[in-house]
Amino acid sequence: MTFLVVMRKDLRLFVRDARFLATLGLFSASLVLILSVAFGPVFTEPAREAAATVWAALFFAGVLGLTRSLELEGESGAGDALRLSGADPFALYLGKTLANFALLAAVFLLLLPLTAIFYDVGTLRELPGVLGVAALALIGYSAWGTLFAALARGLQARELLLSVLLFPSLVPIWIGAVKLTHAYWGGAPVAEVKDWLKVMAVMDVLGLALAAWLYEAVEEAGE
Amino acid sequence: MILRAEAVTKRFDDRPVLSGASLSLEPGQVVHLVGPNGSGKTTFARIVATLLPPDDGEILVDDVPVSERRPQTRRAIGFASHAPLLYLALTPVENLEFFARLSGSRDGRRRALELLERFGLEQAAHRPIAHFSRGMLQRVVLCRALLNDPELLILDEPYAGLDDAGVLAVNQVLAEIRKRGRTALLIAHDKERGGGVITRTVRLRNGRVEEQT
Repeated sequence: MTFLVVMRKDLRLFVRDARFLATLGLFSASLVLILSVAFGPVFTEPAREAAATVWAALFFAGVLGLTRSLELEGESGAGDALRLSGADPFALYLGKTLANFALLAAVFLLLLPLTAIFYDVGTLRELPGVLGVAALALIGYSAWGTLFAALARGLQARELLLSVLLFPSLVPIWIGAVKLTHAYWGGAPVAEVKDWLKVMAVMDVLGLALAAWLYEAVEEAGE
Repeated sequence: MILRAEAVTKRFDDRPVLSGASLSLEPGQVVHLVGPNGSGKTTFARIVATLLPPDDGEILVDDVPVSERRPQTRRAIGFASHAPLLYLALTPVENLEFFARLSGSRDGRRRALELLERFGLEQAAHRPIAHFSRGMLQRVVLCRALLNDPELLILDEPYAGLDDAGVLAVNQVLAEIRKRGRTALLIAHDKERGGGVITRTVRLRNGRVEEQT
């Protein structure tokens, strides 16, 4: 299974880069801390502010993670060796997407308890719902982010381009994630916002379908 | 596999690098490509390796345009260049096993260890390559290029950083390629390189390939 081989390789590279992991962890935790100080000390709507905090922090941390992910293939020309392997481009994409998903999920699992403590929101009862929302949001973020990271590779202002491309494309996912997390943390009835689950699922499928169609062309046009 | 580059042109920022370069690589040939710095040797090698599309002209494999059979062609090519094309945080075994498995090999680890032993790297097989010397890194690069037992081996300055034993190993690889009726394209400045197995020398001049006598 090519995609599993690629995913394992990317995860191994992430794990061996202690400086990157430390930067990612500290950066995302700092964002939660700064935003909680900005909204506090007395929270008017803790569920809403907590949901906004965790997803804003995750977006910026994710850009850092995706940038590192695209650097992995740029360093020492390893991306060329991937292409020379003759492997199915979509399998390569899928492997990288899964590795990015795992990285973002790890960041989310770090931020979730921090946010819950700072804002005093969330209980174990709604945890499965929040994790489900996170899974949907992070699949979309990884799917679109990996595609855009490939698109930005080789360009001088790749970090800037990545953010510029990612932000507007992911707006429906972020809105859905914030609204649903807010609802699960008791800010609103979940039934009122559950249609956002469909929007997020459609965005996930759209990102993966777009990659299946475009990824090979994007990789080949990278020169 | 017969690979033909036909009237290949390439420009970078309006600067012509290749202007109708043609070359045929046939089984049993070890072709030595020479030319001064900046003459486009590496660009030509990358185009032949299918890594860089030409602006004009085409690459044919057994008379079929390479774009129609890109994955198969890539699996049949071994490519070693200035850039290592490896993950520096991984060990030689991890790198080679990864690329072998990507190409569909089921016994990638065995093949990796076999190649590392051949290039005298068995002692360093489990150390991350980030701290390797230039010569050691170059040996791993050569191992990667040979991983799939390529029908066409493209070596761009393979002798860089190698000691005498490394040079000998490269020359043995070229001799074996020739003996087995496979093809090699060797790019090296030093005309004496190749260990006496070069069958043909061509020169890149003014963006075109010329036969050398």
